[in-house]
Amino acid sequence: MTYQLSEQARGTAMLAARTMFPHEKLPDEAYAKVIDALEAEAAGSDTAASAVEQGIAQLDDPEPFAGLDADARLEAVKRIEGSELFELLQATSAVELYDNPLVWKAFGYEGPSTHLGGYLSRGFNDLDWLPDPPTALDPAAGSHHR
Amino acid sequence: MPRFRFDDDDVAVIVGSGAGGGTLANELCQRGVNVVVLESGRHHAPDDFINDEWRSFKQLAWLDQRTTSGSWRIAKDFPNLPAWTCKTVGGTTVHWAGCCPRFMEHEFKASTYYDGIDANTLDWPISFADVEPYYDRAERKLGITGTNGIPQLPANNNYKVFANGAQRVGYKRFHTGRYAVNPEPRDGRPASIQDGFTFQGDKVGAKWSTLVAELPKAAATGKLDLRPEAHAIRIEHDEKGLATGVAYIDGDGLEQFQRGRLVAVAGNAIETPRLLLNSASSLFPDGLGNSSGQLGRNYMRHLTASVYGIFEQPVHMYRGETMAGHIEDEAPNRPDRGFVGGYYLQLLSLGVPFLAAFIDPGGWGPEFASAMESYENMAAMWLVGEDMPQADNRVTLNHDELDEYGQPVPNVHYDDHANDLAMREHAWSAGEALYQSVGAVRTVRTPPYPSTHNIGTARQSARAEDGVVNGFGQCHDIPNLFVSDASQFTTGAAANPTLTIVALAIRQAEYIVEQLKQQAIPTGHAVWDGRDPGGSVSETSTADTLVAGSP
Repeated sequence: MTYQLSEQARGTAMLAARTMFPHEKLPDEAYAKVIDALEAEAAGSDTAASAVEQGIAQLDDPEPFAGLDADARLEAVKRIEGSELFELLQATSAVELYDNPLVWKAFGYEGPSTHLGGYLSRGFNDLDWLPDPPTALDPAAGSHHR
Repeated sequence: MPRFRFDDDDVAVIVGSGAGGGTLANELCQRGVNVVVLESGRHHAPDDFINDEWRSFKQLAWLDQRTTSGSWRIAKDFPNLPAWTCKTVGGTTVHWAGCCPRFMEHEFKASTYYDGIDANTLDWPISFADVEPYYDRAERKLGITGTNGIPQLPANNNYKVFANGAQRVGYKRFHTGRYAVNPEPRDGRPASIQDGFTFQGDKVGAKWSTLVAELPKAAATGKLDLRPEAHAIRIEHDEKGLATGVAYIDGDGLEQFQRGRLVAVAGNAIETPRLLLNSASSLFPDGLGNSSGQLGRNYMRHLTASVYGIFEQPVHMYRGETMAGHIEDEAPNRPDRGFVGGYYLQLLSLGVPFLAAFIDPGGWGPEFASAMESYENMAAMWLVGEDMPQADNRVTLNHDELDEYGQPVPNVHYDDHANDLAMREHAWSAGEALYQSVGAVRTVRTPPYPSTHNIGTARQSARAEDGVVNGFGQCHDIPNLFVSDASQFTTGAAANPTLTIVALAIRQAEYIVEQLKQQAIPTGHAVWDGRDPGGSVSETSTADTLVAGSP
């Protein structure tokens, strides 16, 4: 079973996800992944599908969400806080948006490392803006196990 | 690997292959006992592990249905995931990072030292002195850094921030950890390559786990029958109330029964009481070993909280060993801080996917997004401390929901104790002060997430009326039934539990073998029902062939 939002509804949902998790440096592609997952959720459940449609309609009322400025979009999202669409968008974005190598790269996370030999010779200890601290317990500090 | 007959009543049956079950299995096999290990999860080789947080989570985590209740935030944020434990051969040792502080002397005596606290505290029936020699052996077994001539791990970037902060706020006792990851090759396993992904199973095997250390050694004795995808559902007993064996669902969905001379349960502190409760019978209407009424109660999960520090310059916290940094200064019991017990500050790193899931569950908005975007410049620590045992914090059977095996799911109820809240507040402030001292531009307090430390639901007690098992983990009511995981902890201490689970499992194995030699552990009598017992006849381990003491 497939489920597809209308083009306008999809655009609204993507903008809503971007409003909730605003990252200027991320392309629309990153948010499209969230909406794909939202559609998959809606495909599996009629109640989810109608909640998604209702929530999007609320965001587009009284005027299209896409036509609002950034502050007004944030206000519009706050108005639906707690609704089923809001909860779905929040939960889906928190997983799908950030579970994406494209996003990792944008945020400076290098992802899988074992096949590259780990970071042993690739900077696990390259931080140079603080002095190198001791790694062993200072014998003068004693033990607290007694 | 042998496959012992289902009707073989010479074997010891162990439920669970993690820190408790896997260690006990090896220690018993080394001493000549035939062992069947029933492990609910699949058998994955380290090479199968995945350097990807969500995919690894789906591969390794215990995701069977559970429910929650109580005022803890977990019931809202993760209502069906109270705990982050594993369903795989090796249990949660596959996921653990390797932090190995010992308990302190006073932590075995909460009733004595935590004066005036309104909680269900009890002194352990054993003392630090009883466990100390086993800590020595556990540290040798696990290869703990900073013990037994094993060097410390080197400082990674996250540790540099952490330790410089520790110095600036005046902490004295810090280091790269008492840590169960090899800094150099040892015990047939390689050194760390600082690849992170310790929580995701450790593909190279530098980290001690029962998967790569205890179970292969047990298998080499020819006395281990390890059965993955064997989910225990019930322990059976005879008319005298002695355990006769364990019923389980195998990988084909069929119910099997494995007889044994004794049963040891090590399914983590949610599944262990669940199995004992689910084994209720006319003789034991409240569950096995529950004459005290304490079974399933006193569920503890540790303080748990985290602090993230965001800096002007890069940290790359994910590079290197995930938790290789400990501060011990806040661990002692100093009630003048406004709470009893103490906590450790330990290094922590999450990747971007799990940071998004855990930094502020349910969170959103510009502040959330800007924290995520600061990932590269972020350092993190985990706060782990003692939470108070409370009678109503408990694991019960939820008969309204059945799992895939047709069994009632466990419900986990938890309310924070005032002492837990005061300690968490103190720990958050201490963590923030530490990062601010090295120039953090922002700090973030993160609430508890599903707990990997699950403790106390079948506790040790000197008197049968106060707990479920004695000082060797032997059930007060059923002498051939043992509890071998952190369920047996009378109180939780501040320390990560694995080292103590392992120490107690070694001690328990020694006790079991001594008792078997003296024929002091009675065996239940079951009439075999005529089913094909399959397998091969084992060479019986008689009292004469058992190896007492250290093999």
